[in-house]
Amino acid sequence: MKYVLPAIGSVAAIALFAFSSANQTAVAVEPASNTNTFEQLDLFADVLARVRTDYVVDVNDAELIENAMNGMLQSLDPHSSYITPEQFKELQVTTSGEYGGLGMEVTMEEGFVKVIAPIDETPAKRAGIKAGDYLTEIDGKSILGLSLTEAVKQMRGKPGEDITVTVVRKDEDPKDITITREIIKRVVVKNEVKDGIGYIRLAQFNDKAEEGLIDSIKSLKKEFGGNIPGIVLDLRANPGGLLDQSIKVSSVFLDGGEVVSTRGRVASDTQRYNGEAGELAEGVPLVVLIDGASASASEIVAGAIQDRGRGLVVGMPTFGKGSVQSVIPLRGGRDGALRMTTQRYYTPSGRSIQGTGIDPDIAVAAEPDDGEADRRRREADLPNAILNEKAAAEEEDKEELVIDYPAEDFDVEQDYQLQQAIALLKGGQYASKLADLQG
Amino acid sequence: MPLLRSHGLLSLLMSGGLILAAPSAFAQVEPPTSEASSEEEPDPGNEVVLEKMELFAEVLTRVRDYYVEPKEEKELIEAALEGALSSLDPHSGYSPPAAFTEQREAAKREYGGLGIEVSMEGGLVKINYAIEEGPAYAAGIRTGDFISAVEGESTLGKDLNEAVENMRGPVGDPVNVTVITGDEEPRELDIVRQVVRGRAVRHRVEQGLGYVFIETFNNDQLTSDLVNALSILETDLGGELPGLIIDMRGNRGGLLDQSVSVSGLFLDGGEVLSARGRDSTDTQRYHAEAGELYPDMPIVVLVNSGSASAAEIVAGALQDRGRAVIVGRRSFGKGSVQSVIPLVEHGGALRMTTQRYFTPSGNSIQGRGIMPDMLVAAFPDKGEIRERFRENSLPHSLINPDHSDFEENYEDIVYPSEELPETVDFQLRKAVDILKTSRYQTLLQAQNYLPDGVAEAAAKANASQ
Repeated sequence: MKYVLPAIGSVAAIALFAFSSANQTAVAVEPASNTNTFEQLDLFADVLARVRTDYVVDVNDAELIENAMNGMLQSLDPHSSYITPEQFKELQVTTSGEYGGLGMEVTMEEGFVKVIAPIDETPAKRAGIKAGDYLTEIDGKSILGLSLTEAVKQMRGKPGEDITVTVVRKDEDPKDITITREIIKRVVVKNEVKDGIGYIRLAQFNDKAEEGLIDSIKSLKKEFGGNIPGIVLDLRANPGGLLDQSIKVSSVFLDGGEVVSTRGRVASDTQRYNGEAGELAEGVPLVVLIDGASASASEIVAGAIQDRGRGLVVGMPTFGKGSVQSVIPLRGGRDGALRMTTQRYYTPSGRSIQGTGIDPDIAVAAEPDDGEADRRRREADLPNAILNEKAAAEEEDKEELVIDYPAEDFDVEQDYQLQQAIALLKGGQYASKLADLQG
Repeated sequence: MPLLRSHGLLSLLMSGGLILAAPSAFAQVEPPTSEASSEEEPDPGNEVVLEKMELFAEVLTRVRDYYVEPKEEKELIEAALEGALSSLDPHSGYSPPAAFTEQREAAKREYGGLGIEVSMEGGLVKINYAIEEGPAYAAGIRTGDFISAVEGESTLGKDLNEAVENMRGPVGDPVNVTVITGDEEPRELDIVRQVVRGRAVRHRVEQGLGYVFIETFNNDQLTSDLVNALSILETDLGGELPGLIIDMRGNRGGLLDQSVSVSGLFLDGGEVLSARGRDSTDTQRYHAEAGELYPDMPIVVLVNSGSASAAEIVAGALQDRGRAVIVGRRSFGKGSVQSVIPLVEHGGALRMTTQRYFTPSGNSIQGRGIMPDMLVAAFPDKGEIRERFRENSLPHSLINPDHSDFEENYEDIVYPSEELPETVDFQLRKAVDILKTSRYQTLLQAQNYLPDGVAEAAAKANASQ
């Protein structure tokens, strides 16, 4: 399931532990006025009674209350929701089991499913689904009014089965795309030598990410006969995944020290995550490639590498999904569970990723300048998105990004961003640029 | 009467007399919830509900205490109410106090508008209809255009109410909107607000026949305007109306009593519709007045998938009673009544579906809509029927168990040829053809929707009133 749910879905499993510790510090939470609570609950009960007696057909009270809870949770932000007992059971099965999916990370926006990014080598990617696409219908039925979980559930099914999604893309007519579901493969890391530089593509942060990365570095070392002259770590269109994997992946390039911290509402509810001592790719110049579809765990890695001065971050500003969702079982899951945003991520230097994302050290666009490349919509544009507390102030101070665009006639297939990353590592500017940033 | 309003508001106009008419109308609304509930305590035997309520309370406190940002309980409860109500069907929902106050004030005020009916689509304000007499229409805005910004502020990420708020204001003041037509570059327009009073009925002589266009039923002058229009047409046509086309395409409905009185102009008594609640005793029957205008005049009613609610009541009544031939496409299928229930102490209100409409022959309009006697498309054949915006394509819409397989038959649809210029109204042309030929009688005789005895029963019910 972690492959189709938004980035957060998968982070949740880890964050769960974070929550149980938050639970123990619950005393720190100011108790709200109980009279008010009773009044509000009274109102709620009144309305329920009214619906029960006057609605045009019989209603299922339990479902009605579940929908109320879901309405409450979904009003918080695009990543929070109520999970019914059935969904919770399924969640536990599908996290370990296999199912047919399309292979994309999605979120909900304007009532429709929005693609954060399709995952490499999946049916969605092959069918031409792009980051930023809106899905408005599934098999001819409108998605409007469905929750994210409901929509995702409809997209999943038996491998080999066809599903038709209606895709709405900016400046194009809606079109139907038929995709065959398949088991989403777990190959997430690829490596090759490109122009004398080690290129590592990390497509998502599932539980094989670190392992694949280490294998990649070892195999590159072998190919280069011991010394890798430089590594490009490509996190573009990587929608994220497991929090612990983002820490382990960062740790491959860092010798201990902080990678990320998560902070809840109460100051005392802060968790710091540190890399392990020792660095596998010690001394190897590193460029991390990012874009607007790099989200969550990808942003943690890019932020850590940037803040710790370990490498240069190249590409376009990231998505800005810097919040942690906890899955909180209710009565052990018998009453379902809450998926709720409980914390925000902070980079080692204390920057919140939420809303603003990570800006590249060197901004390079993938496509020629159409005047809009840097205005791609991000988390902060989602209705109800949690704001970055400092965002407003930072927005004003923020220097305008100077973006390096490919020429009008550049063949996009040639991957301008990667070309520039390699040029940076091969030319002399890498070291001086890195030194500049730290100075 | 405000003409700048949301699709959402329009769709609840059936009860909506309550919303959009005089404030005193609120007195008709059922007693406030707090009173009602004191009579109806939750069934103590219902343990599941109590347990779920307990769970709800637990969830409320969890969110209050652990969400990443502090949240007011009031806000959380409001979101929960909206979640519960909107899960029922697409027309039920919850209005927070501020929105409800705004709705009530809107009903009292005669504010200036642009003369457009709008909904939200993909973050933009979509023009569902630009009223021909309105300032927006005069400025070149047409049905199907989009507004992307109001007073320089993008509509992205706003809900409909927020997006249109800036369009409202004092009469005579200009408002700046950014308009997108098709693939053209967005353009900025300054439009001066006017009090837009849509003519209830537009009429003209169409090839020797009478033609009336009823844009909305949300106008308490509709029936009398229609009577006037008909007598003007009669005079224009030399003292006799040889046939009438009633065009209700795109008519989203409006006031229930207007649908009854409009139907009543053409029916000599008898049932027009019934509205039935959950309890079988909660059935209200609405009857036409005795006596009818132009009893022998052939009538064609034009409908399409945008004809909803009150428009479907009129089409259904005239069809079931064998008084008119219905031409066009299957109608929207909104056959439900919403009640507005104010939450007195709280200040907000519930909007809840409480009844369903049935045509005289006992068919529920809900989901099914009215099937024309002759299916005529407005645009050339694309090889398939693709109905996107009908009631039963809305998620969680109330289903109509009796008519789940009630679909347009592709083979039965008459399409205009590709060569026909887009300016030609093919459906209207067909309506004229039908009225001018024996086709009218054939279609009328083919109407077998009315089972034996229903008319009698309806007449009896009428007499017993």
